[in-house]
Amino acid sequence: MSEYDFHPLVKQLLDGDITIADLPVELRAQGEEALRLLAAVDRSPVSLPAIPQRVMRALTRPPQRFPRWLLAPALALAAALVLWLGRSQGPMATPGSEAAITVHFVLSAPGARAVSVAGTFNQWDPRATPLVRTTANGMWTATLKLPAGHHQYAFVVDGVRWVPDPAAPAVDDGYGRRNSVLTL
Amino acid sequence: MILTVLALLGMQQGIADRLSGRVPPDVGAVVESLGTSAAARGLPIDPLIQKAIEGSAKGVPSARVIAAVRLVAMQLDTAAAALRAGGMISDTLAIAAGAFAINAGMSAHDITNLLMRRGGQTTMNVRLELNVAGTLVAIGVPSAEAADLVSASLQANRPATELLSLPSQVQSEVARGATPAQAAAGLARAAAAQARHGPPPGRPQPPPHPPAPPHP
Amino acid sequence: MRAETEADGDIVRAVLAGDRERYAQLVERYRDRYARYAARMLGSRDAAEDAVQDAFVRAYDQLAQCQDPNKFVGWFFLILRNRCFAEQRRNRTKAPLEAADGVAAVDTADDRTETAERRRALQLALLDLTPDQREVFVLKHVEGLSYGEIAERLSTSVPSLKMRMHRAYDKLREQLRDHT
Repeated sequence: MSEYDFHPLVKQLLDGDITIADLPVELRAQGEEALRLLAAVDRSPVSLPAIPQRVMRALTRPPQRFPRWLLAPALALAAALVLWLGRSQGPMATPGSEAAITVHFVLSAPGARAVSVAGTFNQWDPRATPLVRTTANGMWTATLKLPAGHHQYAFVVDGVRWVPDPAAPAVDDGYGRRNSVLTL
Repeated sequence: MILTVLALLGMQQGIADRLSGRVPPDVGAVVESLGTSAAARGLPIDPLIQKAIEGSAKGVPSARVIAAVRLVAMQLDTAAAALRAGGMISDTLAIAAGAFAINAGMSAHDITNLLMRRGGQTTMNVRLELNVAGTLVAIGVPSAEAADLVSASLQANRPATELLSLPSQVQSEVARGATPAQAAAGLARAAAAQARHGPPPGRPQPPPHPPAPPHP
Repeated sequence: MRAETEADGDIVRAVLAGDRERYAQLVERYRDRYARYAARMLGSRDAAEDAVQDAFVRAYDQLAQCQDPNKFVGWFFLILRNRCFAEQRRNRTKAPLEAADGVAAVDTADDRTETAERRRALQLALLDLTPDQREVFVLKHVEGLSYGEIAERLSTSVPSLKMRMHRAYDKLREQLRDHT
């Protein structure tokens, strides 16, 4: 603590816990210095009238990020597709290499308006990888190329409900829900 | 592994950059601190960063995110100790996989056993083996049986792609009425038999289709 | 029909149900609420305007993750706060003098030059604090929140806030010595 520091009682004054009258005489000068400091605080309000227009305009622009999923139109998928059957049959890629493995994400969610998948491969961002509704009876799909290794993910339904993949092994996510596990 | 001060500072900035904009500052500060000391202990920091980003993305309050990240750090420490006890020297990918297995419910003791029974397998597959073992536990195979199944498969020189399919093989057996423990034990026995005797002479072929009756 | 003031929660739910235009109501309602906080944290009105705009856009993107729609503004504050801290990290190397160029001291007619000068000096000194120190000072002495209110908002403890604040007092005193 330097000799230039405010005395602890003066700090209490600054905090508003005591008044200047509570300070011993020898600290009054320091107290007044402290109050002058506070008086120099600029409390004038700041007004941003252009904000609503700018925000609403920004919302109508398409999102900056380019979606990285590939649409796989005529997917011949069994309803109970087990994810790792989607792996290519080539030799296992070395971990960390960019040699990517095709994975089909599938969720049956007839009542949903929007479904996305979020996980370790896309920073858990529910907006990064939307699924596409491919059938009238509510199958949603997305196809990603992911590197070999361990991934965790969950589906996000209607932007609010985090739902593990019913077809995949699940582990505790530490937040009261479960994450699905994918090892490639 | 001792990191120099400069490396630690660089590490801190690296962590901060990955978290920037994705987690609130109070979470970021704790994760930076936990991550830097974890890195100095030779632990991977990626699981810590991922857990923090995950919590923030899920809208979880900061205090709970911090608690979850601390838990991951503890699991990494436990995994590293289990690996050391099993004769492995610091491989951050393997430690991360070990922490996943622990989170899934595997015991450190079983991880050590799995490693000690690997024999001379190359290091690269440890990560895969632990990921598979953890996944087996996640689908209900008890910890010891999961370790046994992976060890037995390794000893039978099963390729990596087959290891990856162990969980689905267990699930097929479960669909036929076995418990996960029974399914895993059965598959382990088959693998052990193969290790002892080599592959069976000619796999049983499906019976040939009877020739179609001649049209009248 | 006389329109009653709608609760934030109702507007949030309407937006989530697909009525994007209703979001403008929320933006209008809260556009200035934390503008001053952002301006004091970043040292410039322009930077604050960018931060507030980005924060509202991000809040829209993540609206589904707002745990309690009736407490939209508290949740929005955290997003804005996050954005301000990220901005400050990006501008770490920028000299405070440049950053404070746009400090809007609203000069009323009878403002003395000396007062305006002291105000500017304090704002510059604030920019020399760490973001954590600056924030607790701004929330308490500019926004007028109590330590308890700040602690609740930032999910931290009053003692740790006071520690930060008292360091801030000392650093400010040192910076402003020439002006006493």
